[in-house]
Amino acid sequence: MSAAPQKRSILVADSHLAKRNSAEARFKLYGLAAIGAGLFFLVVLLSQIVMNGAPAFFQTQITMPLTLDPAAVAKAEKSMMKTAGYRGMLEEALWNEVQRRGIETPLKSPKDLREMISAGAPGNLRDFALADERNHGAEVRYTFAASSRVDGYLKGRVTREGSKDDKGIRPEHFDLIDALVAAGVIETRFNLTFIIGSDASDVRSEQSGMGQSMLGSLAMMFVVLGVCLPISVAAAIYLEEFAPKNRFTDFIEINISNLAAVPSIVFGILALAAFIQFGGGTLEIEALRASAPLVGGLALSLMTLPTIIIATRAALKAVPLSIREAALGVGASRMQSVLHHVLPLAMPGILTGTIIGLASALGETAPLLLIGMVAFVQTDIASIGDFFTAPNVGMPAQIYIWAQRADGAWYERAWGGIILLLVFLVAMNAIAIFLRRRFERRW
Amino acid sequence: MFDAKISETTVTQNDIKIVARKVQVYYGEAHAIKDVSVDILDKTVTAFIGPSGCGKSTFLRCINRMNDTIPICRVEGDILLDNEDIYDKRVDPVNLRARVGMVFQKPNPFPKSIYDNVAYGPRIHGLARTKADLDEIVERALRRGAIWEEVKDRLHQPGTGLSGGQQQRLCIARAVATEPEVLLMDEPCSALDPIATAQVEELIDELRQSYSVVIVTHSMQQAARVSQKTAFFHLGNLVEYGDTEQIFTNPVDPRTESYITGRIG
Repeated sequence: MSAAPQKRSILVADSHLAKRNSAEARFKLYGLAAIGAGLFFLVVLLSQIVMNGAPAFFQTQITMPLTLDPAAVAKAEKSMMKTAGYRGMLEEALWNEVQRRGIETPLKSPKDLREMISAGAPGNLRDFALADERNHGAEVRYTFAASSRVDGYLKGRVTREGSKDDKGIRPEHFDLIDALVAAGVIETRFNLTFIIGSDASDVRSEQSGMGQSMLGSLAMMFVVLGVCLPISVAAAIYLEEFAPKNRFTDFIEINISNLAAVPSIVFGILALAAFIQFGGGTLEIEALRASAPLVGGLALSLMTLPTIIIATRAALKAVPLSIREAALGVGASRMQSVLHHVLPLAMPGILTGTIIGLASALGETAPLLLIGMVAFVQTDIASIGDFFTAPNVGMPAQIYIWAQRADGAWYERAWGGIILLLVFLVAMNAIAIFLRRRFERRW
Repeated sequence: MFDAKISETTVTQNDIKIVARKVQVYYGEAHAIKDVSVDILDKTVTAFIGPSGCGKSTFLRCINRMNDTIPICRVEGDILLDNEDIYDKRVDPVNLRARVGMVFQKPNPFPKSIYDNVAYGPRIHGLARTKADLDEIVERALRRGAIWEEVKDRLHQPGTGLSGGQQQRLCIARAVATEPEVLLMDEPCSALDPIATAQVEELIDELRQSYSVVIVTHSMQQAARVSQKTAFFHLGNLVEYGDTEQIFTNPVDPRTESYITGRIG
């Protein structure tokens, strides 16, 4: 029994098949290349962020014995510039430490050490002195921040060559710093201030932190969640499950889709006009004022609403019709069928949409610029006042402010801020994944 | 064909349960059901047969107003349940659907436990006052659905974990849990294997003692096996309605004969 003569063996690939196979292989290759490119950019981005931002989490500190002279404290408290007296004490103590350790330096007086001490350190020493009178007269080991130049020198940001024309530090200082590092007086430690602190003036980068803006962003996220979730879920359920299909609902649907594509700065200026100028101004509502996280949250809510509505509708649409029919078939009302069966099944999708909306709102800067949430806010984190209405900034706005400043220390902190922003985002996503797992049901 | 007839239960089957007169259904412009009038008896299995797209499912869904959920669907004419018009303005479809239960083509248990699947209807209609009442209702429904023995030890496991045939019997149990008077079944066996089909058919015959059962089926053998009355639909018309035996052995209309002999459809 032999096959018909025109039949070809299945063991031999003809030219058509070879062409098809190579097309398939090419297509696979394109896909792999695209994923490879994506991974490459991700790795570059992450390594850049970590390399540039990680130093912000460390701060150079000076630790030395210090004796608070009660007479000097009293004298400092009497003068106009109270912290000036405390700066003198720090310079004096550091000078003594240099002498005691027998380090040779061409510098002549304690005043020459001023450039090495953080501009914020005297204020901290004053707080320390006033906090407890028992500290007076006794010798304590006192730790305070070095200046941003010293910090930069230890982190490699500031170099001897690059600082020739810098008035902030002198060549003699570098030798002294090297000697003090060798002696263990100057060392780089973990910088808690960067995580819990607030903004600081241009010359005090070592005192600045993201804590304040993290609270601001957290407050805004609460507002966005509180405003957006109920409104969008209600709107989506109505549109998807109850609304008649007519021109009016079509019009609403098209507008929701369009709103999702509106540039965020438009929502910013809308919030400025509607909430601050009209709500806070014309209607005199106390809580609606410039720079308040409440207003920032409302502005971001305007922006986030369409995103969550669209995601929620998609999640509701994905619930099989048979579940609705099953519920209606046993005599559930439409509301019962939605609340008891459709909504629980759509919950994971709704949560995902919400978290995507929140994440984009968290990273949004433009609307904050317009409602005054880019101001210089330097409040002690403990005395922030009203969480939602006290003036504050958002994390991206804080990063934006820092990136504009001249000193390299701020550039480093801007990158560090981005690390914290990403950590914030990852934490939010983790919560979302956890909630998804809890709500997920199979059918 | 009647050799395959399953256990013939003798039940008096005289009362008319549902009366339909000159029912028209439109999907937008399309005229899906044309002038259908039919009397459906109590304690009887009535089969709707006909080729695909003939309107048999559409007509079935009119009886418990499931078509209300389709916005473009419009129903005209009268359908009376115990002499009350189910399309009367005062009728709440929720009440109607508690009295006219439905089983769908594809088994569609809720993604909940077996117990909760059955208990859902009684719960929302407030049929049970205590937990013990509810337990009793659930057990009775599962027994009527001929699935009690298989699931009594795993009532709190998900209903979606059952096999296809078990799921469909669970759906039947769910439908009878609300104590309906009429049970509508829209091709209940089309997604089941022959063994599960046989179980469900046997169940349908038992259900006839308590309910008026209306079943849509593509399988003429099934119609012949389970029903006492058969209605043949074609292109939206009710062509012929009569005793199952008469329809299959001595059809009046030539179209019916063509269909049951396999020439159309």
